[in-house]
Amino acid sequence: MTTRTASLAVAGALATAVTALAAPLASAGGMSMTPRQHTMAELHTGKFVRCFGVALAGHNDCYAGPGTTCAGTASRNYQGNAFKLVPTGTCTAITTPYVTIVQGHGSLSKITEAGR
Amino acid sequence: MLPWAELQEQLAAALRDPERAPPAECIGPDGARATKRFAVYRNNVFAGLIDALAESYPAVHRLLGVECFEETARRYVSQHLPRSPVLLEYGERFSEFLEQLEPLAALPYLADVARIERAWLEAYHAPEAPALDPGALAGIPAHRAADLCFTLHPSVRLVRSRSAAVTIWGLNVAPPPWASLPPDPIAESALLARPAAEVEVVCLTPGAAEFLAALAGGLTLGEASERARSVHDTFHLTEHCTALLGGGWVTAAHLRRRRTRGH
Repeated sequence: MTTRTASLAVAGALATAVTALAAPLASAGGMSMTPRQHTMAELHTGKFVRCFGVALAGHNDCYAGPGTTCAGTASRNYQGNAFKLVPTGTCTAITTPYVTIVQGHGSLSKITEAGR
Repeated sequence: MLPWAELQEQLAAALRDPERAPPAECIGPDGARATKRFAVYRNNVFAGLIDALAESYPAVHRLLGVECFEETARRYVSQHLPRSPVLLEYGERFSEFLEQLEPLAALPYLADVARIERAWLEAYHAPEAPALDPGALAGIPAHRAADLCFTLHPSVRLVRSRSAAVTIWGLNVAPPPWASLPPDPIAESALLARPAAEVEVVCLTPGAAEFLAALAGGLTLGEASERARSVHDTFHLTEHCTALLGGGWVTAAHLRRRRTRGH
């Protein structure tokens, strides 16, 4: 390809992409943008942000928890069993709507809920 | 009494090494050296940091299993006490550590899986930024399109791998499918970004990885596209422009001046 043809190919690709994205409910090259738009809409409700904040606090609580729990009993070889327990409490409740929304996105937060 | 800095050094050394006695300044209510009490403290430090690593690297944890992960994490903790008081920053060198750990040499993908998890964490905590409206590029004249440079979203992270790290990561943290471009079964790279609330992970072909790395490095759309084609001749530019702009991975664009005068 000459430089000029290559440059026109770039322009064509860009124009196609911009047009596709400008169209309502754009379906782009195998990647559906719709879940993300849903996410954006959900974000504006404010539920999302709070949910994340809570999950994060849960993380820290979990960190403080097992260390404290085993403090009186364990010697120097930590067994770490306490931490395998599923973190419970508000985090789970608040995260539920979030889990539904991101299904198919591979978010780690979901796993933290289900996988532990 | 030891000077404060020296006492801290000795405390840290005794924390790292279970065989080492605490500094003589560590005493119990009876005035005797508090070796047992110190062991409890040491234990808590290790327990907390091992747990933090398990939380930050859930796929590695699952791949290694509980016992192997804890032993691996324990070794990491003994060599890398936190450098920051922010716990979520802990473990920033875990992937390198895994890569160099001889007993884990049979798992060549492991370090890359850890890199993806680290990138996920970084993307998750990266600053917010509004994505560039693709419509803003509609007015770019066709002959200048190749000169476009993009500023990528602050949460964008690129993890390049020679193994199927993205698939392995994905299978160990969530049931597929996650949003993806067609994966290459041999070499998978990952793009992680958090354009809105949650981190999105996209599996990239070698061409797409080259394309995004070039753009991230400040090259123009034309240059990045050429590079992508040089590693992947079926690289589809339209598809990747759409993913780039539609995915919210770009926050700004500018035209680079041409330096063709004199040729």
